Parts: sequence; C-alpha cells; structure tokens
Amino acid sequence: MTLKPIFEPGSIAIIGASSTPGKWGNILLKNLLSNGFKGPVYPVNPKEKTILDTACYPSVLDIPGPVDMALIAVPGSHALTVAQECGIKGVQGIIMVTAGFSETGDKGREAEKKLMEINDRYHMRLVGPNTLGVVNAHIGMNASIISRLPEPGGISFITQSGTLGLALVDWTMEMGIGLHIVVSTGNKANIDDVDLLNYLASDPKTDVIAMYVEGINRGREFIKAAQEISKPILAVKSGRTSSGSKAVFSHTGSMAGADEVYSAAFKQAGIIRVDNIEDLFDCALALSVQPAPNGNRVGILSNGGGASIIASDACERMGLIIPALQNDTRQKIREYIPEFASARNPIDSAGLATYDVYNSIVKQMLLDPNIDVLIVIYVHTVVNDAALPAQAIVDIHRGKCSKPIITCWMGGAGTRAGIDILKKGGLPNYPVPERAVIALRSLVQHNGFLEKVKV
Amino acid sequence: MNLTTDQLHDILMEYGIPLVQKIMAASLQEAVEAANKLHYPVVMKISSPDISHKTDVGGILLDLNSDEEIKKAYLAMMDSVKKNIPEARIDGVIIQKMAKSGLEVIVGAKLDPQFGHVIMFGLGGIFVEIYKDVSFRVTPIDQKTAHDMILEIKASSIIQGARGQEPADIDAIIKVITGLSRMLEKKPGIIELDINPLIVYSHGAVAVDARMLTH
Repeated sequence: MTLKPIFEPGSIAIIGASSTPGKWGNILLKNLLSNGFKGPVYPVNPKEKTILDTACYPSVLDIPGPVDMALIAVPGSHALTVAQECGIKGVQGIIMVTAGFSETGDKGREAEKKLMEINDRYHMRLVGPNTLGVVNAHIGMNASIISRLPEPGGISFITQSGTLGLALVDWTMEMGIGLHIVVSTGNKANIDDVDLLNYLASDPKTDVIAMYVEGINRGREFIKAAQEISKPILAVKSGRTSSGSKAVFSHTGSMAGADEVYSAAFKQAGIIRVDNIEDLFDCALALSVQPAPNGNRVGILSNGGGASIIASDACERMGLIIPALQNDTRQKIREYIPEFASARNPIDSAGLATYDVYNSIVKQMLLDPNIDVLIVIYVHTVVNDAALPAQAIVDIHRGKCSKPIITCWMGGAGTRAGIDILKKGGLPNYPVPERAVIALRSLVQHNGFLEKVKV
Repeated sequence: MNLTTDQLHDILMEYGIPLVQKIMAASLQEAVEAANKLHYPVVMKISSPDISHKTDVGGILLDLNSDEEIKKAYLAMMDSVKKNIPEARIDGVIIQKMAKSGLEVIVGAKLDPQFGHVIMFGLGGIFVEIYKDVSFRVTPIDQKTAHDMILEIKASSIIQGARGQEPADIDAIIKVITGLSRMLEKKPGIIELDINPLIVYSHGAVAVDARMLTH
C-alpha cells in the first residue's frame, strides 16, 4: 500500500494531544497547527474539550470526518488500543511516536509484534514505533518534534537516529538548505529503508535522497531498490571503526567487518557514501541544484593563487583531473587578466574580481571541451565587491549552461551579499575549497553511477 | 562444519575453481606412483578424518623431488603423526603437485547478516594482513563487477604488471570470483571461506589451499 497517507495526508488526528506545554503531545500538536498545513487537524484526548483552541475528541472514532493519518504519542500501555481504533476508523497511515517497543527488549518486542498484527489486519502503513516524526516542508506538515519547519527544497532526508536527525534539520536551516520530506525511521517495524527509497523515487518533489544509516534490514532488496533510482542517493553510515568478526576462522572473516560490507553494498547500489554529516548536506546541496557533469576534468578560477592551489590539490587527492585548457581558450582569457597572471588551469586572475573579468573567463572555460565542471573561487579583499563576481556567474548560469558550477566565496561577513546572490541563482556555495571539492566529487560519482550501476 | 582443501576439492572444481592436481595414496608404493604420475616436485599431506591442523603434527611436507625423498617423507610423516595423535585414523597420504610460484592472491567469502554472502579479493601475504588492501562485493557478482573489484585494490598495478613484470591473468581471477559467487548462491549454508593462496600466472591460476566453515 502507498505511503501517501503518511507523507501527504489530507487530514490528521493527533492521538495523545496534550494541553500541558512541554509535553510531546503538546509540542506535536503545536507543530502541526502552526506551520501552514491546510487539512483538518484533530486532537484526541478523552480528558480535554479543546486544546490550543482546537476541538478535541475523546477517541479517533469520535472524529466526524475521515482521518488519513494518525500521529500517536500516547503512553505505551495505550498504544495497541489506539492503533486498533485507528484501524476501525479507516485510518491509512500511522506515525507511532510512542516508544518502549523492540528497542527495549523481549517484552517490547512482543508488544511490537502485536502492534504489527493490528497494523496488518487493517492494511495500514506505519512509521516507527519510537520515531520522532515526519515532515513534509512543501505542504507545511510538521508531524514531528522539530522546532521549526525547514525551508522547502529538493532534498529528502531519511534518518535512523531521531535526535541527531532533528538536530541536523535545524542545522540545514542555518545553512539555508531546503528540504522536502524528513522522516525519522524509528524501529522500522513496518516502513523501512526499502519502502522509503521506493516512495521517494517516485515523489516528484524529491531531487536528492540523503540518509543517516545505522543499519539496514533487507540488504539485498535495499541494493536493488537503490539501483533502480536514478536520483542521487547519499548516505552517512555510522560505526565505521567497528572491526571484523571476533571469532576468526578465515582471513575473509576477519577482514569483512560490517563497515566494509556496507561500503561495498553502497557502491553496488549506486549510493554515494560520505564520511560525515557536513559532507552529507554539502553534497546533497550540490546534487540538488546542479546537473551531473560528463566527466571528472575540473576547471578552476580564483582571484587568489593560494585558494586555487588548495582546490587543485584537493581535486587531485580525490581523483579529479585538472586538465590543460585549449590554446584558444587561454589566449582569450589572457585578454581579461594582467600579463603576469596565469591563464593556465587553475586560473589566477591576480586579484581581479570584477563582473566582466569573472563573467568573461567563466564563459570561456565553460566553452572549453577539456572542461567538465567548474569551481569558481572568490577570496574577499577590501578592494573588491563580493556581489559583482557572484552576479557575473549567476548571469551565465541563467543562460542554460549544462556544465555544473560549484562556488567558493571565502572571507566571512564581507562575502554575505555575494553568497546570497549565488544561493538565489541556484549555485551551491562553500566557505572553503575542500568542501567545494567534496561536493563536486559527489556530482562526478553520481554521474559514474548513472553510467555503470543504475538500471 | 570445518572443511579443508582436500574435502573441498570436488566442489570447487565443479564451479570452475582450479585446484592443484592431487592423487590419494593408501600406501608408500601408491605414493611413489602418484608422484611420478604428477611429475616432481610434489607435496605430501596426511589424509585423516581426525586431523584438521596438518602442519602442527608434521602432516605436510613440501617440495619433494625424487622417489627416495618420497620414501623418507612417508616414513617420517607416519611416525610424526602417530606420535602426536596416536588415536588418529589414517587413510594414507595425498600427493599433490607443487604449484609453481606466481602472484599469490586471496579470494574469500563471508555470510553477512544484513547483505548475505559477500566476496573479498586481495593480494596475498602482507597486502591482506598488514595493509588490509582488499575489496568486497555483495553476491551475485558478474564478470564486470569482478573486474572492478580486482582493479579497485590499491596494489592493482602489481596485478597489471608493474615494473616490467608480466601481467597476471585477470580473466582467470574473474573466473574464480564468479565461480565462487555461483557456488555461494547454491550453498546458503556457507559461513566463511578462504581460497588462499590462489596462485595467478600470466596464463591461468591455481588454488593451493582452501578452507570453509558451514552451518
């Protein structure tokens, strides 16, 4: 059955809604009511008449209209009864925030089994239990305990750690990264990673799938599902340092730790594995706004030599190539830079960062058949206006350029105006060259997967 | 269950994984005949259902070059084994062709709880043990994927013939990896398996030792 009632419900019941500030049932209701969700939201609590000025019902069965999705945050002892009532009511999707299931031991495992029996009997789909909720930024649905609704964007985020995931969403807001779906998977008793990949694959608003993974249940189906998705998928997998099995029978047994196997599986699935959370969202940003390059040959422009050397070093370390430009490209570029400056890739404009210089050089580099992708660096100095070179790139970008461009405006507060222009123009910007190169590499990796892995 | 090279011979051959030629010999006379049939040099191994660590009890003797050496080796081996494990039942000895030296690689498999069988590839010796320079893939593995995993290791230039060496037969390694992959699909009970070393030549490859743990 489709996951649509969970991620795009028309109506929501919040069971276990509370009038006490600070309680989860209160936070969840407040978040549902205050972020622009258009459909009806029905608080359910047998002890209250209204909560937060909204009519409250004793049970989900008392709600007059249909209920697509139920967000459940009742004490553990009530969870099964409430789920049963949802089934009778004809609710199609449940987000079970209530915890105390398989994550707690044998007794909880038994309860989770019973919960699944109820769920399956009524053909419902369920996120959790033990989830911190679901967000759909495009319909203003914050069915989670995240304090703010993220800016709408093309990145959907699957997180196995509730708390970490939520902190990350806050962080993406600081970075100005737009999200679409955020889902905290919890115990994955019903909806797991495979289901979520399949849903997000056909979801038109998801351009990039980012995952925080601790473990995958259906390994082979997961690989197969990912192979069939041409959208970029990124994953950060925790537990990198865990070693192979302790009881060593064979060399292979001692070498094939879970982490090595995950790396192999991700490679076969066409999933870009990143090292940490910063890389996860840096790469997701680039992949969500820039096209895949045709190859791994990088052109670099900078108004300062140091930054361009750092960038080209990072490129070479990561298996990217800094090719020579064609002769006529070099000759044309010479017209825009001082005689002593370098017209060789990486290009150093020797301090010049005017609109015309950046606009003309970038245009020439994009035309060069030796170049697949560009990094444009601007190092802020008091004699320059950071907005001008930014505008120069954005104007080219608007001219339907098919080669990706990554930018790196360095220099803190003075670059703010430039960075805003880049962001509005759909150019992924990073504060240091290394981060820009990591993001660039993910574009190249995804292109490689499209050619080799994706079916 | 723990199985070693001799017990794995037939099954590995069935999946196209070449092992060094061997002949079972129930007596000294048969051992000499076997060695002459295989041509010297040969290796002699004790054949007993009660001995799993042959080296520890003097149950493996390498590089035997004449009938005389076979005779001496046979008597010494029987003596040593009986001293170490008096109660062991002895079927005889296995005479095995001594593999020519070549590039030693390891191909192994493990049952992963999340992803099922995975196959590992790496160069033998210090490359696997010290540098941990190995690659993995989840089965089933086709030729293209096997090729990728061979070239993925950092020392792949050694396989391709670095510093004037003749390149190793990559197709022969691919055949072993894909053959092992087919075998694992048919035998879900395999928990761990090492083919170590697989000796690779400029033409062909031959597995010298293998061990396997099954349910």
